[in-house]
Amino acid sequence: MNTRANTRATGLRLRPAAAALLAAVCLFPFVYLFGLSLVSEWSFPAVWPSALSLDLWRRVLGGSTALGSSFLLSLGVSSLVAALSTLAGFVTGKFIAYHPRRPALLFLAYVPFVMSPVVLGTCLMFLYIKAGLTGNVAGVMIAQTMFAYGFSIVFFSAFWNAEVRALEDLVYTLGGSTLQAYRRVLIPVSRGALVICFFQTFLISWFQYGLTILIGAGKVQTLPVKVYEYIGEANVYYAAIASCLLVLPPALLLWANKRFVFKQV
Amino acid sequence: MTISGPKSLRGNRNSLGRLGLALFLALAILPILFSLGYAVAYSTGLAGLLSDGFTGEHWAKLGQGSEIWASFGLSLYVAGVSVVLTISLSLVLALYLRRPLGYGALSYIIYFPLALPATVAAFLVFQLFSGAGYLSRILFQLGWIDAIGQFPALVNDAYGAGIIIAHVGLGLPFFILLFVEIYNREQLDALGGLARTLGAGRRQMLYRVHVPILLKKCFTNIVLFFIAVLGSYEIPLLLGRQNPQMISVLTMRKYALFDIRQKPEAFLLALLYTAVVVALVVLAFRKGEVRHEH
Repeated sequence: MNTRANTRATGLRLRPAAAALLAAVCLFPFVYLFGLSLVSEWSFPAVWPSALSLDLWRRVLGGSTALGSSFLLSLGVSSLVAALSTLAGFVTGKFIAYHPRRPALLFLAYVPFVMSPVVLGTCLMFLYIKAGLTGNVAGVMIAQTMFAYGFSIVFFSAFWNAEVRALEDLVYTLGGSTLQAYRRVLIPVSRGALVICFFQTFLISWFQYGLTILIGAGKVQTLPVKVYEYIGEANVYYAAIASCLLVLPPALLLWANKRFVFKQV
Repeated sequence: MTISGPKSLRGNRNSLGRLGLALFLALAILPILFSLGYAVAYSTGLAGLLSDGFTGEHWAKLGQGSEIWASFGLSLYVAGVSVVLTISLSLVLALYLRRPLGYGALSYIIYFPLALPATVAAFLVFQLFSGAGYLSRILFQLGWIDAIGQFPALVNDAYGAGIIIAHVGLGLPFFILLFVEIYNREQLDALGGLARTLGAGRRQMLYRVHVPILLKKCFTNIVLFFIAVLGSYEIPLLLGRQNPQMISVLTMRKYALFDIRQKPEAFLLALLYTAVVVALVVLAFRKGEVRHEH
């Protein structure tokens, strides 16, 4: 009995140390990536680099590399994909949520959302080539929207429930119009969900590599494409900077919305 | 003004939703159906540059121990191991560190890894676990190894260790947070307390109450994680071997090769993968955890 109590007491005592270790593991990738972006030479077997400098960052921020334009391109593409998918998913999700054939329609929405973008992209290439949508930003955006739209529908079909429906019905019963129902009730009530969905569809697009390289034919140089390009050139320090740029905006957004994001999981 | 019930009023306001559904069908479902039909045609010789009429030649290769089965085997193995490790570790950590995860610094920090894309995760694993990577340098300084060659192969290795590490690293924070969220939402503390009152021991409470409820509640997420790993591309592209390759990497390779005789196999692979994924989604739906009620 005493042994069991001692084991439990040790377990409880170790909890703060385990929490600190987990926190360190979570932060390590960011510290390591940023550290790597400050290095210009770091050969085996050195555990610490000989010197740190902001030279590479200065070059990137000064516009002498293509990273700045890739960042802006990624930002533009992801923002547009997220906005389109969120708005379209909002209305389509509502239609599906209240539809008598909800399970079947929801199943259809799951298909693009769960499929491997690369495998599906391979099959879609013929259609995209015929439509002149390969090797350009429009094609990449349409392809990404397909996946983000599926996610958005699945997301909103869970949001539209009996409570929201009753609120909408109340507006109509009291003589309100569709516009008033959306403006005064539905949009304010779903503001949180809209923000989360925008954020998550933004990430779907922001992180996309395989589909972008396939449909964009290497010509649409978003940030993930740049990361792989630098890795392919064995240019790890530039790859680290590109990774930092890729990771920082979502990390900050996630941190700002942390409670928000997981309420809908 | 006509007075109508809410239901009839709603009936007239669905045009936007119908338009949305039509847009989804036009943008996603119809192209997917067309593409899968095209894949069937290509893999049976009815379409494509080498099309010469119907042939079962490419499908027959499946029976000859082709690399397609090796690819499926590797993908299923990586997905299975990644899911088991991720779920086991996140269950342990979520239950053990539930309090620090609920408030304090860790409750913020645990969200940061969610911002890591697969591309960056693969790059990090390569940097940390390759022969000249950070872990190897530490072991060298500690005197545990004398040369790069003595460091165990964890990247581009036969067991897909690097690929599994990257997927576990990506999935772990998500499932930890999900388990903590479900624990609180389902009031498992109260349920556990009830079990204890009825005479259950701590282990019984854990294995008969907490763990089964947590696993049941996130069954869909587990299936989706399995599907995501099965079809992952960026991670095995950097951390995998040339042979066998995971499904997405092999599909892309066979599609993009100069040797166009390989293309039908790319479509065949895509069709098999689609069949597996659809079957898994059906399983998730059948289990009822994809909520149909509203």
